[in-house]
Amino acid sequence: MGEGGGVTAAVVARDLRKTYGKTVALDDLSFEIPAGSLTGFLGPNGAGKTTTFRALLGLTRVDAGHAEVLGMAVDSELARIVKKVGAIVDEPGLLRPLTGRQNLVVAAHTLGFGHERIDELAEFVELTDDLDRLVAGYSKGMRQRLALAAALLGSPELLLLDEPLDGLDPAGQQTFKRRLRQLVDEEGRTVVISSHNLNDVQALADHIVVVAKGSLRFQGRLSELLDGGGAMRVTVEQPETAAEQLRSAGFTVSESDGVLLVSTDDGRLVSKTLAEAGLYPSALVPAAQSLETVFLELTST
Amino acid sequence: MKLLIQAELVKLFRRKAYLLMVVILAGLVGMTAFFVVLFPRIAPDLAEGLSPISKPDGYLFGAQQVIGQTWFPLILAVMMLGTEMSGTFWATTLTREARRLRHVTARLLVLSAASWAAIAAAIIGFSVVVAVGAVGEGVLSGTQWVRIFGSALLIQVAWVALGLGLVGLFRSIGPAIGAALAFSFGEALLGLWRPYGNVSLTGNSSALLGAVDPDVFGGMLPGAGIPAERAAVVVGMWAVAALALAWWTLARRDP
Repeated sequence: MGEGGGVTAAVVARDLRKTYGKTVALDDLSFEIPAGSLTGFLGPNGAGKTTTFRALLGLTRVDAGHAEVLGMAVDSELARIVKKVGAIVDEPGLLRPLTGRQNLVVAAHTLGFGHERIDELAEFVELTDDLDRLVAGYSKGMRQRLALAAALLGSPELLLLDEPLDGLDPAGQQTFKRRLRQLVDEEGRTVVISSHNLNDVQALADHIVVVAKGSLRFQGRLSELLDGGGAMRVTVEQPETAAEQLRSAGFTVSESDGVLLVSTDDGRLVSKTLAEAGLYPSALVPAAQSLETVFLELTST
Repeated sequence: MKLLIQAELVKLFRRKAYLLMVVILAGLVGMTAFFVVLFPRIAPDLAEGLSPISKPDGYLFGAQQVIGQTWFPLILAVMMLGTEMSGTFWATTLTREARRLRHVTARLLVLSAASWAAIAAAIIGFSVVVAVGAVGEGVLSGTQWVRIFGSALLIQVAWVALGLGLVGLFRSIGPAIGAALAFSFGEALLGLWRPYGNVSLTGNSSALLGAVDPDVFGGMLPGAGIPAERAAVVVGMWAVAALALAWWTLARRDP
C-alpha cells in the first residue's frame, strides 16, 4: 500500500486529469485515503466525485495522472484490484426481473465465487425475508442494501460507495450507516462514501476528502476540519476590554454577540493573557465549526 | 470463465425474454410447417397452388426455413446485452470482473448455445411434422444432419456476435434493436444486388445448407448460386468481424 505522511493509504491518487470536451472533470486531483478509515468523499454536484470513483475502478480512463488502489496501479493491475474492492457506482446495477438472491448469485459468479456467503450477507443487510422476491418490487432502500451485499460478496478490503445513502428513508439510512461503521470498526475494512449530504458524512466519517471543480480542497481527519482552523471561542465579562487586551498581546480577535473569536488554538495562552488583566473567561472552547460552514468555504471558489 | 458462464446462464433463464422469443420462434416455425406440410394434404382444395411436400427433401426444406430465422440470435443478443448496457449493470459488472474479453466470450458462448438449442429444437419439431405429414419416403443421412446442425451453430455464432457488436456500437437497447432490424431487412434487400450478395451474411446464411437454386426468381434470392463451402467461409468471416467489433466497442470504450 502507498505511504502518505506515515499513514498507510488504501487509495493514492496523483494528478488525475480527465476532460470531457471543454469540461474539466478532474483537474490534477491528488489525494490519499487512509487504510482502515471511513472516509467521506465530499463535493458539490459536478465536483468530480463519481468520475474519481469511476477512474479508481477503471471505468473511466483518465487523460493523465496515476492512481493506486490497495498498493496496485489502476492502469496495469485492474483485474486484481476489482477482486479486492466492492463498489456501488451511480445507481446500483441490479437486474430487476431477477430476485435478490439471483442477483447475488450472478454477482458472486461474476466475481468468481460460489453461493456460500449469500445468506450471511442477506442477514447482514437485513434482507433475508425479501431475498427471494423480484428486485422489481424492492424499495430504493432495499435495492441499496442488496447492492451493498453484492459489493461485500468478495470480502473486499476497500468499499467505494457512490452516494449510498441517497434516497433512503431515515430507517434505511440508520441501518446502512450502522453496517458501514461495523465494517470499519469491527472488520477493519476501508470504506469511502461519496456524498453531498454533509450531515450524513459528519455523523459517519472519520476522514474527509473535499473536492470541488475537480481539484482537492481538503483532506484530513474530520476533527482537523472542524476544529475552527485554530480559533478559540471566549465568553467573558467586559468583552471589549478583553478584546483590547488580547489584541495588544498580538491575537486577532473578532466579536459577535459578546463572544470573542480569537485566532489561536492555544487556550492556555488566551487564559493567561486575560488573567494578567484581571479578566477570567466563563467559557473558553475551541471554535468548532459546522461541516456545512467549512464545506461552503472550501468549495465556494 | 466457468462461473462467468454460469452467471450468464442464470441471467438468460431467469429473464422472460428468451422464453418469449422461443415461443415466437415456435409459433412461426409451427405455422410454416402447418401450411407447407400439412395444409396441402388436409385441405387440398383450399391449398390451391401449394403442392404437398415430399420426403426426404422436406427435412432439408424445413431446416432451411428454421435456419433462416436469423432474427432470433440477433435480437436475443441485442436484448440480453442491450438491457444491461442501457442501465448501470454493465458498469457494475466491470467492477466485479474487469477483463472485458471474458465478458464478451461468456456472452458469445452462452447466447450462441441458447440460440442454437432453440433453433435445433425447431428443426427437430419441423422434421417431426415432415415425418408425420409429408408424402413419400426417405430420410436424410447422418452426415446431412450433422451438416444441418453444424451450419445452424455457425449461423448462430455469427448473428449473436453481430448483435453484441451492434449493442457495443450503440450502447443502448433501443438504437441497437433498431439497427438490428434495419440490418436484418436492409441486408437481405441489399443482397439482391449480386456483387454484395456474394458477401452478404443473410445470403450466405441461406446458402449454407446447399446452393440456393439460381433459377428461382431469376437468381434473385439472397445466396443464389453460392456453394455451401464458400458460404461457410463467408459466414465464418462475418462471425470473426462481428466479434472483433463487439470486443473493440465493449473493450475500448468507457461504460
